Amino acid sequence: MTDPELLAVHGLVIKKAGSATAVAELLGATSKEIATALDAAVQAGRVVGANGTFMVTPAGRDWLEQRYPDAFAGFRSDPAAGEAYAGFERINGKLLALMTDWQMMPAGSERVPNDHSDHDYDTEVIDRLGGLHERAERPLEQFAGLEPRLGRYWERLEVAYDRALAGEYDWVSSARIASYHTTWYELHEDLLRMLGREREEQP
Amino acid sequence: MTQVSERILILDGASLPGREQVGNKAASIAQMRALGLPVPPAFVLPIDECRRYHAAGGELDAEAWAAVRAGIEHLERETGRSFGDPASPLLVSVRSAAAISMPGMMDTVLNLGMTDALERGLAALSGDPGFARDTHARFCHEFGHIVLGADVDPGDDPAAVCAAVLKDTGQAVPGDPWEQLRAAIHAVFGSWSSRRAVAYRRHWGIPEDGGTAVVVQAMAFGNLGGRSGTGVVFTRNPLTGAPEVYGEWLAGGQGEDVVSGTHDPRPVAELAEQLPELHAELMEAAQLLESERGDMQDIEFTIEAGRLYLLQTRTAKRSPLAAVRIAADLVREGVTGPEAALRQVSPEQVQAVLAPTLAPDTLAGAEVLARGTPACPGVSSGRAAPDARAGSGSGEGGPVVLVRPTTSPEDVDAMVEAVAVVTERGGATSHAAVVTRALGRPSVVGVGDGVTGGWVGSEVTVDGSGGVVYAGRLPTRQTDADDVPGLAELLGWARERSPVTVGEGVDEVRDLDGLGLRLEPDHPVDAATLEAGVHGARAVRGTVLNSPEGARAAIVAGVKTVVPLPGQRPEVLLLRLAQAGLED
Repeated sequence: MTDPELLAVHGLVIKKAGSATAVAELLGATSKEIATALDAAVQAGRVVGANGTFMVTPAGRDWLEQRYPDAFAGFRSDPAAGEAYAGFERINGKLLALMTDWQMMPAGSERVPNDHSDHDYDTEVIDRLGGLHERAERPLEQFAGLEPRLGRYWERLEVAYDRALAGEYDWVSSARIASYHTTWYELHEDLLRMLGREREEQP
Repeated sequence: MTQVSERILILDGASLPGREQVGNKAASIAQMRALGLPVPPAFVLPIDECRRYHAAGGELDAEAWAAVRAGIEHLERETGRSFGDPASPLLVSVRSAAAISMPGMMDTVLNLGMTDALERGLAALSGDPGFARDTHARFCHEFGHIVLGADVDPGDDPAAVCAAVLKDTGQAVPGDPWEQLRAAIHAVFGSWSSRRAVAYRRHWGIPEDGGTAVVVQAMAFGNLGGRSGTGVVFTRNPLTGAPEVYGEWLAGGQGEDVVSGTHDPRPVAELAEQLPELHAELMEAAQLLESERGDMQDIEFTIEAGRLYLLQTRTAKRSPLAAVRIAADLVREGVTGPEAALRQVSPEQVQAVLAPTLAPDTLAGAEVLARGTPACPGVSSGRAAPDARAGSGSGEGGPVVLVRPTTSPEDVDAMVEAVAVVTERGGATSHAAVVTRALGRPSVVGVGDGVTGGWVGSEVTVDGSGGVVYAGRLPTRQTDADDVPGLAELLGWARERSPVTVGEGVDEVRDLDGLGLRLEPDHPVDAATLEAGVHGARAVRGTVLNSPEGARAAIVAGVKTVVPLPGQRPEVLLLRLAQAGLED
């Protein structure tokens, strides 16, 4: 994808609301490039901005949907992308189940909120996260080989995993920071949009 | 102890090896055997062998391998079965056992020793070829995944799974049971220096010269013959804390069948009707384990042809309500003392049991708008709105309940603003469920497509504990400490032991938040600053006092009284102070 405006709006729609810096961080671009592209998108009515925070308009969303098939034609038709996505999906279900275990501990047939007072339980979940993290390396390498900017997600996942391992538990699933779950979810959203697929919610 | 070699230890309970020597799991097996409890026979390669293995450059020397063979012979004698013999197959589990639980250690491999010939033998013995084939396929997947590092889908055809493992890793699942065993032991010792384990030790300053032991244990089968099955028991009810055994039993089931949810287990009380003497033996073992360990246990068991085996016991997870009641009951029954009880309950659990609930008498006339999956507990009311965007129906700044088909990362800001969340699609692991739990927002997910259509702009009440959405704003009820079984006793012991009182009506209360000493999870105030800020005050209040560090500072500085802020529960502060007092 070479059109800088399309890329910036795509990054923003994954973030939904955010600054040029936040979008640049997601895409591995410079804030200046993204700010310029977002200003152009504001002029075209695809994005609205106030106080440095931007958001995609309904018209902007429609525009993205129209542009995606051409912009990602190569990616969508590449069997290697489909194969890497199958690898991602295999891990995705387990990762979401793990996030549930992190937040809600089993108690008999029900679950209670994890208050993180049970160190062994938390260590066991972080250990499973490590196992999934290691398994994720290969599909993420495959994606980065096809689309270099996607390599940025692996770097962010490494940071989040490393901090979680060091006992900074917010980095597992906090929605307020670039935690493992936040980053994973953004990656999933990015891939779904690039591939033109729908999210399948877990039953 | 049965001494078969210098290099392994038989875990028959004749001696009690230390955790530092054989790791937690092995020490626990020996301890259970010493109590006379029926645990499948097992042996351990001690932690020393891990050091030897690494010193030799990742090799098991001939003597260690001979010891492993002697250990297997011991398991053969104990079980009357034979490793690799289709006519009477001994299968084993192989697991790591470190002295400190640590990420990166190898997961357990079950059913090791399985081969094509054994699958046929097991099919004949159990009369269930489907089970034999399924066990074999599961073994191929597990061995491939855990020992060889394969990333392949599980399947029900062993040959296909093995082929996928070979394609993925370039390594085959060995057809020889001894080669399987050797590879699994290598993988356990090797996992000590896995990337995850090394990173964890670096972060936590754990010395590199430790190691992990390897436990090899005979598998028990719950599907051989009529008087067989598998199950899980809790020594008390994990939801209410009532002193009654609670659990599930699956006649003719094996291992993961209960946990995996693929079968339909029955209440464990049915075991009492089917196999009364084994049920009695199980109840006796459960009680013994609970009193030995001084806390409620969660026990996995298998009955193989009329013989009970305990596979695992651990301290059971429980609801906040159960935690309070059990801690008090164990003291009353003479199992533990008040100080143990104060350590068994967390302030967060006390907070949770005291959280507002729906007032019960209002439910009768309440209109149920929808039912779904309860995703995050608690009750909140507000005006339903579909969106975070300004002017989208969120009203004039009152509380908003976010109502959407599903949520995605773009909705997180709206979820932060909302007092509760409802989605039409998705289950317990959907984005909405995961994020609301992180934020502590009551939520109900998966209420059904189109169900929320007419709600926008009207008042709704979300009960995230029951998974119900009601029309209108329903009154909530503040829970009183007297309503919670065991809480009054627990708080009594806390009051006796807390060096600081919690109360109102004190003049000159020092406000810690006003001094800049706030509870900030991302930037905690260090202990010295905290103590200096508290020093000299007779009474203090602040958010930071609802944290272990804050409570400790108040005690160290000699504060007389902690005064609750609006919203802080005095019961919670009191338990924190009592716990901090026990640390000294």
